[in-house]
Amino acid sequence: MMDIIFLVVTALFFSLAILYVRGCERLGKGAKGSKS
Amino acid sequence: MNIGNILLLVICALLGGYLLYALLKAEEFKMTANGWAQIGFFLVVILVITKPVGVFMARVFSGEKTVLDAVLRPIERIIYRLTGIDEKHEMRWTEYATAMLLFSGVSMVLLYMIERVQKWLPLNPQKFANIDPGLAFGTAASFTTNTNWQAYSGESAMSYLTQMAGLAYHNFASAAVGIAVAIAVIRGIARKETDKLGNFWVDTTRSLLWVLLPACLIGSLFLVSQGVIQNLKPYTTAELIEPQTVQVTGADGKTTTQTVTQQVIAQGPVASQEVIKELGTNGGGFFGANSAHPFENPTPLANFFQMVLIFAIPAGLTYTLGRMTKSPRHGWAIWAAMAFLFLAGVTTAYWAEARGNPLLSPADQRATSTQSGGNMEGKETRFGIANSALFATVTTDASCGAINSQHDSFTPLGGMVPLINIMLGEVVFGGVGAGLYGIIVFVILAVFIAGLMVGRTPEYLGKKIESYDVKMAMLAVLILTVTILGFAAIAVVQPFATAGISNPGPHGLSQILYAYVSSAGNNGSAFGGLSVNTMWYNTSTAAAQLLGRFFMIIPVLAIAGNLAKKKTVPASAGTFPVTGGLFAGLLVSTIVIVGALTFFPALSLGPILEHLLMQAGKIF
Repeated sequence: MMDIIFLVVTALFFSLAILYVRGCERLGKGAKGSKS
Repeated sequence: MNIGNILLLVICALLGGYLLYALLKAEEFKMTANGWAQIGFFLVVILVITKPVGVFMARVFSGEKTVLDAVLRPIERIIYRLTGIDEKHEMRWTEYATAMLLFSGVSMVLLYMIERVQKWLPLNPQKFANIDPGLAFGTAASFTTNTNWQAYSGESAMSYLTQMAGLAYHNFASAAVGIAVAIAVIRGIARKETDKLGNFWVDTTRSLLWVLLPACLIGSLFLVSQGVIQNLKPYTTAELIEPQTVQVTGADGKTTTQTVTQQVIAQGPVASQEVIKELGTNGGGFFGANSAHPFENPTPLANFFQMVLIFAIPAGLTYTLGRMTKSPRHGWAIWAAMAFLFLAGVTTAYWAEARGNPLLSPADQRATSTQSGGNMEGKETRFGIANSALFATVTTDASCGAINSQHDSFTPLGGMVPLINIMLGEVVFGGVGAGLYGIIVFVILAVFIAGLMVGRTPEYLGKKIESYDVKMAMLAVLILTVTILGFAAIAVVQPFATAGISNPGPHGLSQILYAYVSSAGNNGSAFGGLSVNTMWYNTSTAAAQLLGRFFMIIPVLAIAGNLAKKKTVPASAGTFPVTGGLFAGLLVSTIVIVGALTFFPALSLGPILEHLLMQAGKIF
């Protein structure tokens, strides 16, 4: 049981990290003058 | 000669003069000229190897020819063919980050599974049981993030297969990931008008094949020559010449007397793991005693070699940055800032430990031919005060975490040095790759502050630094702050966490604070004295390690991706130069001020208060 919990937690963390990548990217797209 | 060059010369002269003064006046502060000579020699060796290591790595990652190509290039091609990697494919920062996350996530799961089934796998002569889920999860997170925080003793928990295929594999893989990210960041600074940072798989493969594996092959042979063991034998049982009588307290709390007639001497493939432990700034020891164990660190020369290994790649990367951005003097300016902070740290630690404990002042604590002098609690006599203070400084300047002495046993101010080193972001040479991309964050902040002071848009090597870059830099800084202080705040008020403290008062606070500073900073050294093999510490330190590693790398890669897109603008009279002493000074100030503003309150309640109370006659 604990094994499943830890594996799910690991998967959730890395999924969250990939969402964080997307979030940082979106913040960049909205940034004024980021291509100057 | 401009003012920046003059200032750089002045700083160099001050550093040299300081070392000479310390050498001549060492005795007055209970330090020794011998100790200072070793510290000075260490810094000179790092200075000498910086350029060759940096040039080699620049050549490897720029696709230039190297002496190893004839052997390694065919192997590299086979790896790409087998794994379906297109080495010509260049990645945007988001793809680079996603590949890095997937690689790390899969590697972490593999390590977790090896730990959980090691009992049924080969190379387990001691018949160790499977690792408990909480400890397996904490260890998997720890080694994946290059932290190597260990809530176990390797010789009494991990099979040889787990040590080699699980832990040592991660020592290589996590270090290679760090180098790859640093190289991607350098490309982001060096390139213009592109959104491509390179290929994560290629950078990681080349880190492993060209940099880490050859150096480890030679380094492990050298360590074996010094007496580090390398075998797959079962542990040796030796009969004691003089049986020992010991008091043992059982689980029921009853104390019984036992006579010990045998000693079990642990064996194992230590040298191969030891060298990457330092070169990859991982720090996880084969044995629980880490580099204080004579099988890991048998001689003063092995000790010196290990310290050089810790700084070798991080120092070299400063030159790689300078070479790949065509501004070698920028690389040297960063090196100078790092060297200044290193000397400040080692001086404080050496002075604090050499002066000993003032409460024992009637006793002679000076170093003589018959005693090491100073505060020798938790230190190896064969290394003494100077090499213990130096090792503690080096291992926490970098995100290594190997130890040859117990930081918990240092004086309050001496123990504060490792703590501060990690709090500053481990950017004093720093971890493999992590030190460089960490200091780039502070460089962004430093040029931003300089721009604010003169009222111009800040520039960094011809690239304008704008709001997105500064936002991402602040995200990278804040994630460490929030993680460290957040988890530490919970732990100091919860009985299940404070139950692990072995010393009350401010020292107990330092133990908890150090645990989360070390975890989020991906250092992995333990202050000691805190019982951490509990579900709370295993899971909370794992969370701190994962957040401190990946949630810092992502905004740093975002900065690199954004910088790569920009045009370069020619330097003008208003451009703040990032090549001289003025820049190095501003960089040091930025690092110290950010660290002080963030952590001074916690430090004042921990080691600073403990120091003041010690002066008043109270110890913990």
